[in-house]
Amino acid sequence: MIPLRLSARAEASTPFVTRLNDGKRGASLVAADGLHSVFAGDAGLFEINGVAAKDMAGDVILVDPRRGIAERLFRSGSVHNSLLVTERCDQLCVMCSQPPKKTHHDRFDHFEAACLLADENAVVGITGGEPTLYKERLFQLIERVLAVRTDLSFHVLTNGQHFDETDVERLRQPCFRAVQWGVPLYSSEASLHDDIVGKPGAHRRLLESLPRLMRAGAHVELRTVLLTTNAAQLPTLARFVSSHLRFVDAWSIMQLENIGFARNRWAELYYDHRVGFQPIAEALDISALYGVNARLFNFARCGVPGPYRSFAKPSISDWKRRFPSECVPCRERQLCAGFFEWHPNGEGVTPL
Amino acid sequence: MNVLPLRPWPLGNDSCLFVSDTGAFFAGDEAFLDRQIESSLTPPDHAFLARQGHAYHAEGDVAHTAHAHGVAKRFARAGTLDYLILVPTLRCNLSCTYCQVSRAPIDKAGFDWSEETLSAVLALVDRLETPSIKIEFQGGEPTLRPDLLRAVIERAQRFPDRQFVVCTNLATLSAEIIDIFDRPDVFISTSLDGDSKTHARQRTGSAAEAQRFAENLDRLLRRYGPDKIAALPTVDPQSPPEPAELIEAFASRGLRGIYLRPINYQGFARKRHAHSREQDVAWRAYYERFVGALIERNWADQTQVLEETYLSHCLKRIFQPGHDRHVDLRNPNAAGVDYVVIDHDGRAYPTDEARMLARSGVIDLSIGDVATGWDTPARQLLNDNATNALDPECQRCAFQPYCGRDVVDDLARYGTTDLKRTETAFCRRHMHLFDFAFRLIYDPNEAVQYSLRRWLKVPGDKVCLGAVLQ
Repeated sequence: MIPLRLSARAEASTPFVTRLNDGKRGASLVAADGLHSVFAGDAGLFEINGVAAKDMAGDVILVDPRRGIAERLFRSGSVHNSLLVTERCDQLCVMCSQPPKKTHHDRFDHFEAACLLADENAVVGITGGEPTLYKERLFQLIERVLAVRTDLSFHVLTNGQHFDETDVERLRQPCFRAVQWGVPLYSSEASLHDDIVGKPGAHRRLLESLPRLMRAGAHVELRTVLLTTNAAQLPTLARFVSSHLRFVDAWSIMQLENIGFARNRWAELYYDHRVGFQPIAEALDISALYGVNARLFNFARCGVPGPYRSFAKPSISDWKRRFPSECVPCRERQLCAGFFEWHPNGEGVTPL
Repeated sequence: MNVLPLRPWPLGNDSCLFVSDTGAFFAGDEAFLDRQIESSLTPPDHAFLARQGHAYHAEGDVAHTAHAHGVAKRFARAGTLDYLILVPTLRCNLSCTYCQVSRAPIDKAGFDWSEETLSAVLALVDRLETPSIKIEFQGGEPTLRPDLLRAVIERAQRFPDRQFVVCTNLATLSAEIIDIFDRPDVFISTSLDGDSKTHARQRTGSAAEAQRFAENLDRLLRRYGPDKIAALPTVDPQSPPEPAELIEAFASRGLRGIYLRPINYQGFARKRHAHSREQDVAWRAYYERFVGALIERNWADQTQVLEETYLSHCLKRIFQPGHDRHVDLRNPNAAGVDYVVIDHDGRAYPTDEARMLARSGVIDLSIGDVATGWDTPARQLLNDNATNALDPECQRCAFQPYCGRDVVDDLARYGTTDLKRTETAFCRRHMHLFDFAFRLIYDPNEAVQYSLRRWLKVPGDKVCLGAVLQ
């Protein structure tokens, strides 16, 4: 795994954001010794331990001197950078990979500063918790950053429970063309969706938000995590997406991540697509027929039947992706999602 | 529950097709048609319609908004100019009986781009504001002027996504032309009318020349494989080749796409093939027989999927909105916006057919020229008539969401656009095509369904293509 949180010390007493020794902006490297580096920037001297300075060049970091840590908010060159804007959430999904917390620390100002320092043309992921619980702050962040950094774009993961009629006009602003909303829909059947997200009425509320996003011309990526409970209904959901939600940029069917709540419920929730690919195949067929851009996330390619392999995308973020040793001879590794760092062993891969 | 408008179309056998303004469709029986007309739909009808997106509860809900979105998606939005058809020379080394452009003799002066025209074309390429570009070289025979092809290709290297198509008769194949073809961004389009005899009769004139063409084509196929080369047959409806023979001429070369075109009523063909003004029942029967032969062949030999490319295109337009870059079939069909034709003399035309009409002396449909541009009243006039949205016949037609409008075609055949739509060849051709497509969609024959799924790029074989009211 690539470490994202490092131990640090700093002259400054309050948290600050900076970009590390890229030769132009931010803090410059003063001294380095293996995994120990000292930088000098606007906030004075600070030191970071755990990663060699050359591997952090261009990274945007948030240093918190009181807690003695530096967070690598944006790793330079990586396409998998996201900002966790809150840990609060109003849903409680059975398989949540990032179980919510009650408390919230507002760090939007730091995140705004970080976005302004991001790599050119970077895609900034926004995640949570539920980011739209702080909708005003979130919209402001996006609007302000994109007013200055027109090269950036955002991908925001949201449960779609908080888009109102009044948001439609605001989301029609040109800057929001650079924002894609990743919205989960687990079933076309309200009760099943509500059961999965642990919130009665969530499905109804989501179906109020989606037409608003449609009318706002928003870019939406629909997301469906595959579970034992919804796998059989995937073709029905595909028909619903094809008939009612064809406006989406993409529909991502996602294999379960063995972390968070899913870890303890793995046997109960994990749907083994290698044994029962049929409902997934049917959903992909329906999507292809109606021109819905469906794709498979977190599916190792060798577990997907040949005709459907092109749907499987290398979706797992670099910092938490792992390939078992059997994958070494595989010719499709570059195209493959691989496995989550915490995926149970014994995947039984068959190199292609 | 509010049911959205549906347009019926008889499918035969007590079955009726119902199409919404979004193009979503299903089949029902006549009893359903009666219930719809009498506003006596049953609860199961309502449930089915809601499931399919043909009914909504309240304005602004997901079904209602999706419907509005779906209707909007059926309107083609011509983007920025990114498709040029260039005619560097009108001269040609062949003289096909149905030549569409009244080509110029091989040694005649004054039918190639002048220095000024070339500079203006290059300046046009420089002005384009697009990351992707498609440039098609037409003629005449463009390979007579490799220097002009190179000049354009080199100038267009700044586009990250680029495609150059050389439309050539492959009568000759010089080393200089091979050098151009070797480029990965260059593609080849040629004519292949069937077996050598047919090809000789219609195109080359002599068997020896037909033989040389075939050798050149096969040489290129060996060199590049089939993905770089497209071949189109032109069929004389008076004496069409046996479908199996024509298919074999393509399949044996690994060419999978066959765009079955009858002789175009243009250029020489207007006199020498006067019957080509309209295609009749016999052509349509031939067309269906040809597609039937493709379906049988695909089923018998599943290692290769052959298709009639225009039918595949129509099928895609039925299921998937947004296939709007085929400029012969889209609505509205904007003229001189996202693509344009620049002739050998620098004149700009909205389509290749428009160029042919001017060349044949029928009507001058040029909209400007490459040096001064084509934002002209002529272009505006064409665009004022470029939609089928308000045509009273089209508004009643079940196939409107899939169909298009071709002003130039109307002018070519009838000298006017002011016709009842159903009396035009364009309408009749597409009525037949879409009706045929739906008969295939609802054909239970497994071989038919197999081909349709492949043509629609559906990977599996379980999905049902045509919804039926239950």
